[in-house]
Amino acid sequence: MDTHSYLPVQPGVGMEESFLSLDDILLSHERLPIRTECVFPRLGFLERSNDTQDIPEGTKMELPLWLSKGLYEKKRRVLSVDLPKVYREGWRTVFNADPNVVDLHKMGPYYYGLGSQMLHFDSPENPEIGQTLLQTFIGRFRRTMDSSQNAYNEDTSALLERLDCLEKALFRSGQSGLNGFQSWEKGQASQLTASSLVLNYRKRKITDVQL
Amino acid sequence: MDPAEVEFLAEKEPVTVIPNFSLDKVYLIGGDLGPFNPGLPVDVPVWLALNLKQRQRCRIVPPAWMDVEKLEELRDLERREEAFSPVPSPYYMELTKLLLNYASDNIPKADEIRTLVKDIWDTRIAKLRLSADSFISQMEAHAKLDNLTLMEINTVRVFLLDSLNCMYKLRSNLQPDICNCDFFFFISY
Amino acid sequence: MSDALSDDGSDINQDDSQEDTMTPAELIVKLEEAWLNEKFSPELLENKSEVVECVMEQLTHMEANLQRVKKGDAKAGIHRMEIDRIRFVLSSYLRSRLQKIEKFFPHVLEREKSREDGEASLLSPEEFAFAKEYYANTETYLKAVALKRMPPNLQTVDMLKAVPEPCLDSFVFLRVKERQENILVEPETDDQREYVVDLEEGSQHLMRYRTIAPLISSGAVQLI
Repeated sequence: MDTHSYLPVQPGVGMEESFLSLDDILLSHERLPIRTECVFPRLGFLERSNDTQDIPEGTKMELPLWLSKGLYEKKRRVLSVDLPKVYREGWRTVFNADPNVVDLHKMGPYYYGLGSQMLHFDSPENPEIGQTLLQTFIGRFRRTMDSSQNAYNEDTSALLERLDCLEKALFRSGQSGLNGFQSWEKGQASQLTASSLVLNYRKRKITDVQL
Repeated sequence: MDPAEVEFLAEKEPVTVIPNFSLDKVYLIGGDLGPFNPGLPVDVPVWLALNLKQRQRCRIVPPAWMDVEKLEELRDLERREEAFSPVPSPYYMELTKLLLNYASDNIPKADEIRTLVKDIWDTRIAKLRLSADSFISQMEAHAKLDNLTLMEINTVRVFLLDSLNCMYKLRSNLQPDICNCDFFFFISY
Repeated sequence: MSDALSDDGSDINQDDSQEDTMTPAELIVKLEEAWLNEKFSPELLENKSEVVECVMEQLTHMEANLQRVKKGDAKAGIHRMEIDRIRFVLSSYLRSRLQKIEKFFPHVLEREKSREDGEASLLSPEEFAFAKEYYANTETYLKAVALKRMPPNLQTVDMLKAVPEPCLDSFVFLRVKERQENILVEPETDDQREYVVDLEEGSQHLMRYRTIAPLISSGAVQLI
C-alpha cells in the first residue's frame, strides 16, 4: 500500500517555506554573502577576522538565510545581500542556453529553493531570476521524467547525482509510480512478506534461547 | 493510488463464466447474482469468477476483445495514430493480467495475448510521457484525456501532479504581490 | 442451501428502497465514489456519514445473517468475500480522511470554528474529536521536546502558519458524469488568455482542482 501512517512535511516551494519540513530547515541554513550597512554593536566576537568589539559598517561576511531574512528590511538598511554567483547574469545565460548541462547538485543543492528565497531581497534582477528558475525547471523536466521512468531496478546514483533536491524528490515520486506498477505486473504485490521487525524479533528470540 | 487498488476496482468488472454446479440466486449487497446452472453461461464480477475458477467450479469465457486478431488491429491503430485510441475495456491491462494468471487454460493463445497487450500498453505509456512533457513545456491549464485508463494515469499521477505543483509555485514567484509568508515570523513574539 | 440468506437478502433490498430511494447497490457505488474523490482531492471533502452509517448497517445485518448459516454453505463464502471487499473500501475511505486531518489539522479545525450555524460540518463527530486530540498532542510534544527550552517569548508556535495549507491549485484527473458548459480555465502564463471549455459527459480531463471543486460535491464530476 502506498499509505504511511507518518507523513513527513514536504518542503515548501517558491517563496514559501514549511516550518516543519526538514528540507526547509536545512535550506534556511544556506549561507549568503552579505555586507553590513550599519554598525552591529558588541557582536565583534562573531567575526573572527577582526578583533574589534563591534562589527563595523561595510563588513563583508556570510550569514545563514534565516538570519539574513530576519535582519533584512527594505526601509532601514541593516545589511545588503549579494546574489550567490549561480543566480547572477553569467550563470543565467548558461541556464538559458541549455539547462541540462548544469550539475545542479553541485551548484545547489537547493537551486530552486534558495533562488526563490533570494526574491525576498529587493534586487532589480529579481524578475530575471524568477524567470530563469522557471525556465530551468521546464527545460530539465523531460530528462528528470525519462530517467525516473527508465530506472527500474537500476543503480540510480549516477542519474541522481546532477539533480537539485526538488528534482530528486520528483525523481523519487516518478520512480515509485513505475516500481509500483512493475511489481504489480510481476505479481509481487500479492505476496505477503514478514516485516523486518518481525524477522529481527524472531532472530533475537533464537539468540536469547542459545544464551 | 496503489496499483493493487486499481486492480481491486477492475475486479468489479463483469465476466462470463460457465459453472459446473447449481446454486440459487445470491442476493449480494452490491446486486443479485445467478442463478447458477451447470453448463449455462452467467455473468459474475471478476473477483468471484477467479475464486470459482481457483476452486475448479467454473470455466471462464474470455471477453470478446481478448482475441489475437482484434488486439493486433488495436496495436497497429495505437502505433499509427498520434492520439490515444479507444481501449477495449477501461481495465484492459488489469483484466489481462488477472485472467491470464489465473485462467490461462481457458484463453486461447494466452502468450500471444499477453505480448500484444503489453505492446499496446508500452505504446500508450510512451505517448503519455510525450503529452506530459508538452503539457509542462507549453504550460497548459487544461488537457482532455479521453481513452486514458486509470492504471495508465496512475503510473504518472504523483510525478506529474507534483511537477505541476512545483511549476505553479515557481511561476507565482513572478507575481510579487502574492503573500510573503515569512519563515522568521512564524514564531510569534 | 439456507433459506435465511436468500430471504433476508431480499428483505434488505426492500427495506431500504422504502425508506430511502437508494438501493444497497447504489449505496455501495456512492461509497466507492466518495472513496476515490477523497483519495484524489487535495483538501478534506465533506464527510459522508450517512453513507458510512448505512453501509455499516448493511454489513452488520449481513454478518448477523451469516452467523446463522450452516458451515460449508456455498453462498456464505460469496457473501463473506463481498463483505471483505466493502469493508476494505470503507476503511480505506475513512483512513484517507484521517490522513488528511493529520496533514492539515490546524486548518481543518479553523474551518470548523468559523462554520456558521446550520452549515454542514466537514467532520464527523469522531473525526472532530480525533482532530482536536491530534492538535493537542502535537502541541504538547513540540513543547516537551523543544519549545520549553526556548526563551519565554519564543515558546509558542502558530500552528496555522506552521502547517502548510492544502494547495487548491493542484491539478486533478477527473471524469465527467453530468455535462457542464462554460467552465472557465484560467491562464497559466501572462501571454495566454482565459478560455471556457465544455465538459462532455463521460470525457476525462486534467485541470486545476479549484476550478471544479464545486462540481465534486454536486456529484457532476468524479475524481480519478
